[in-house]
Amino acid sequence: MAGATRTRLVREDTSGADAVAALAVGVASVLFGLGLAAMFEVVGLTGTLAGVPTLPLLGGLLLVQGVAVVVFGVGSRFGAVETNPRPDAGIVAAVAFTLIWLVVGGLVASQVLGLGLAGWLLGAILTGAAGFAATVLPREDVGSTLPAGVVTALVGLVFLSGYIAPTSVWDLGWEQKASLTAEFMVPVVTVFCALLTGWAAAKAYGGFGARGRRVGAYLLVYLNAAAIVGVLFALVAFTVFKGVPGLFRGLTFGPGVGPESTVALFGASVTFSWPVYLPFAMNGVGLLNDLNGVLPAIVGTFWLVVGAVLFAVPLGVGAAIFLTEYAERGRFTQVVEVATNGLWSTPSIVFGLFGFAFLIPRFGNGKSLLAGMLTLGFMLLPLVVITSREAMLSVPDEYRDASAALGVTKWQTIRSVVLPAALPGVVTGTILGVGRIAGETAPILLTMAGGVFVPGSQTADVIGGFQFTAAPPFVSNPELLQATSALPYQLYALITAGVGASGNVGNPDQFRWATALILLLVVLSFYAVGIVTRYYFRRKLDYE
Amino acid sequence: MAQATSEDTDAEALGHLVRRFRNFVDETDREALAVVGVMTAALLTAFVGFLAVSSYTIVPFAVFLVTASYGWLRHQGLTARLLTLTMTVSTILILILITAFIFVEAVPVVFYESATVFGIEIPGLRMFIQPEWDAVSSPIRYSMVPMIHGTVMVTLVATAVAAPLGVAAALFLSEIAPRTVRELVKPGVEILAGIPSIVYGFIGFTVLSPWASDQFNILGQGTYLFVGVVVGLMALPTVVSVAEDALNSVPESMKSGSLAVGTTDWQTMTSITLPAAFSGVSAAVLLGVGRAIGETMAATVMLRGVPKLTDPLYNVFYGQETLTSLIARNYGEADGLQMDALFVAGVILFVTVLVISVGSQYVEWRMRKKFGGDV
Repeated sequence: MAGATRTRLVREDTSGADAVAALAVGVASVLFGLGLAAMFEVVGLTGTLAGVPTLPLLGGLLLVQGVAVVVFGVGSRFGAVETNPRPDAGIVAAVAFTLIWLVVGGLVASQVLGLGLAGWLLGAILTGAAGFAATVLPREDVGSTLPAGVVTALVGLVFLSGYIAPTSVWDLGWEQKASLTAEFMVPVVTVFCALLTGWAAAKAYGGFGARGRRVGAYLLVYLNAAAIVGVLFALVAFTVFKGVPGLFRGLTFGPGVGPESTVALFGASVTFSWPVYLPFAMNGVGLLNDLNGVLPAIVGTFWLVVGAVLFAVPLGVGAAIFLTEYAERGRFTQVVEVATNGLWSTPSIVFGLFGFAFLIPRFGNGKSLLAGMLTLGFMLLPLVVITSREAMLSVPDEYRDASAALGVTKWQTIRSVVLPAALPGVVTGTILGVGRIAGETAPILLTMAGGVFVPGSQTADVIGGFQFTAAPPFVSNPELLQATSALPYQLYALITAGVGASGNVGNPDQFRWATALILLLVVLSFYAVGIVTRYYFRRKLDYE
Repeated sequence: MAQATSEDTDAEALGHLVRRFRNFVDETDREALAVVGVMTAALLTAFVGFLAVSSYTIVPFAVFLVTASYGWLRHQGLTARLLTLTMTVSTILILILITAFIFVEAVPVVFYESATVFGIEIPGLRMFIQPEWDAVSSPIRYSMVPMIHGTVMVTLVATAVAAPLGVAAALFLSEIAPRTVRELVKPGVEILAGIPSIVYGFIGFTVLSPWASDQFNILGQGTYLFVGVVVGLMALPTVVSVAEDALNSVPESMKSGSLAVGTTDWQTMTSITLPAAFSGVSAAVLLGVGRAIGETMAATVMLRGVPKLTDPLYNVFYGQETLTSLIARNYGEADGLQMDALFVAGVILFVTVLVISVGSQYVEWRMRKKFGGDV
C-alpha cells in the first residue's frame, strides 16, 4: 500500500516539471525542423511564417527555448523540481561547452567589439574559461543546462534584435574570395542550438544523473541513425524522381513493338520481337534513332561483371580453401591475410593505374573490355578471399571430423562437407562485392572505357566474337579487345562532356539523370539480392 | 642477438620445408608427381611469357589446362591441393605485381624531380618542396604538394563527418537498437555503401556545388568542404560496419557484469563497452580514413581540376585537386613524364592506404588477443 501511495505522490510532484522538459524537447525539434527547412530553402529567411517574419520568429523561439532550459536547470538546483543530479556535468560536456564558448567569445570580441588579434584571443579564452567553469563547478543540473541555454538565448536575442538581416554577408577577406552569408549561417546556428538545448532538455526530462544522461545520449544517437537513413532515402528518392522521366520516355507495350532479337542454339535460330519497347535501355546513340539510349553501356557493364566474377570467384574460393583447409596457421597465412586486407582497401584508382601499366600492353596496347574485366577481377578477388575464408572458418570442426571418421580423403571432405556448408557465405559476399565493382568508375576509366556516346551497333557481342586464327595466340575475340562503355563510365563521360557535346541526345539533363538512375538500379539490385540471400540463409540456419 | 635468433629460426623453417618436400616426393607415386611437375612448369612458363608480353603465352597455358584436367580426373586430391595453392600464390602475386608496376612506372619522374640539399642530390625531393604543378609551359614541374594538401583537406573534413556519426551509428546498431529497427537500419547503411561513387559525385556536382557557390559567394564551383562531406558520407558505412564488429566482439559477460552492478545501459556503453572496444573502433576510423583518401570519382567530378594550393591554406571553400582526381582527370592526355607523375600520385596513395590498412589490422589483432579469442 505504501508503495502505491508513494508512486502517486512522486508522479504528482514531477508531472509538471516533466511536461516542461518534454515541451522544451518539442520546441527543440520544431527549431531543428525549421532550421533544416531554411537550409534547404523550403522556408525563406526573408519571408514570413504564420504571419510572423521568419528570422524574428526563429529568434523568439530560440530565446524562449534557452530561457526555459536555464530556468529548469536553476529550478532543479533550488529544489523546485525533483531530480537526482551528479556533482558535475562530466568531462565530455565540459570540453564541448568550453569549445562553444571559446568560439562565441572570439566572435563577439572580433566582430562586434572589433578588437585585434590579442583582444579577441583574450576574449575567447575568457569566455571559454567561463564556459568550462559554468559546466564543471556547479551541480550537473545547472552545469549541463546553463551554458547551453545561455548560448541559445544569446543567439535568439541576436536574431530578434535585427543585428543580422536575412541578407547579411560577412566577407572572410581571403585571397580566394569566400563569405559567410546569413542565408547559410542562420539555419546552421539554429539547428546547432536546437540540438544543444534538445540534449539538455532531454537530460532534464530524465531527471539528470545516470538516467538523464542516458535519455540525452539516446536522443542524439537515435537522431543520428534517423539522419543516416533519411539521407539514404533522400539520395535514392531524388535520383528516382529526376531519372524516371528520361528512363521511361517512349515506353510502349504491344506485340512486336520492340527491337528484334535472334537466339541461335545448335544451328536453329529463332527471331522474335520484344513486346516491350523501352528506348533508353534498348537503343544506342544514333542519328536515326527516335530516342537515344545507353544499351551499349548496359551490355558493357553486364560483360564486365561476368568477366570479373569468372576471374575472381574461382581464384578467390581456391585461395580460401588452401588457406583454411590445407595451410598450417602460421606466418604464411598471416601474411596472406594482411595482403588480402591491404589489397581490399587499396584505392580503386590504383587498380586502374596497375591495369593501365600491366594489362594494356599485354592486350594489344589499347583499352579493352578484357583489361577492364581483369582489373575489376583484381579488385573483387580480395573480397572473395576474405568472405570465403570467413564462411569456411565458421563451418564447425565437428563436420570435418565426422567426415574424416568415415575414412574419406581430405579433398572429399572439403568438396562434400566444407564447401556446401560455406556456400551461403561465399554467395552473399560475392553478390555484395559484385554490387560494389559494378558501380566502380575509376578502374575502368584507365583500362576500358571509350567514347561518350556509343552507337547501338557497337554493343559488345562477346559470345559471337570468338574466332580461331592461324597466328599466335590462335584464339582471338575482337569484341574483348575493343574499348567499350559501361554505365558508371557513361555517367562520368556525360558529366565531363558538358552540355555542348551532348547536343545529339535531345535533352542532355534528362539523359544524365536517367543514366544515373539505371546505374543505381543495377547496383542496388545486386545489393538487394545479396541482402535478401543473407537474410534467407540466416533464417534457414536459425531454424534448423 | 635477436637478429641471429630470427636467422636461426628461418634456417630451421627452411630445413623443415625441404624435409617436407622430400617426404612429399617420396610418398607420392611417380605418375602423379609427373603431372604435378608438368603443371607447375607450364604455369610458371605461362606467367613468364605473360610478363614478357609474348604472344605464345597461350601455349604453356593450354598445356597447364590439359595437365590440370588430366590430374583432376586421375589424382583429384593432389591436383586440388596444388590448384588451391596456385590460387593463393597468385593472390599474393597480384599485390606484388601492383606494387612493382606502379613503382617502376613512377621512377623516371622521380629522377627528373631531383633536388640538391647540402650538395647531395636527392631524387624526387623537388616534388615535395615546391608547390608548382605545370605540365605544359617551361619550367615543367610536377609537384605533389597541392594534391597532398587537397587530399589532406578532404580527408580531414570526411573524417570529421564519418568518425563521430559512424561510431554513434555503430553503437546504435550493436547496443541500442531494438531488433526490428536494426534489421531495417543495417541494410540501409549497407546500401549507402552500395551507391556508386559516381552517383554521389553527380548529385554533388549538380545540386551541392551550385548551392555551395551561392551560399558562400564563391567564384566558380568546387569546394573541399562539400567534397569532404560527400566523401565522409561514403566512408561512413566502412566505419559503421567495422566499429560494430568491434563493439560486438566485447564479451557479453563484461557488459552483463556492469549492468548487474546497477548501471544504466548508457553508462555500460561509455565506461565498459567503448573503452574495451577502443582499439577496434579506432581501427574502424582508420579504415574510414583510408576509404576517404582513396575516393576518386566524387572528388574528380566536384573539384575544379586546377592543381594549386588554396589561399589561405585553410580555405576549405575552394577545392582544387586531390591525388586521386589528378590521376582520373589527366590520364587521357598525359604521356611521358606527366604520366609517370600520375604514377607517383598512385604510389603515394597506395603506400598511405596500405600503411593505414596494416596498422588497423595490427590494432584489431591486438584487441582480439586481449579478449582471448582466436587470433
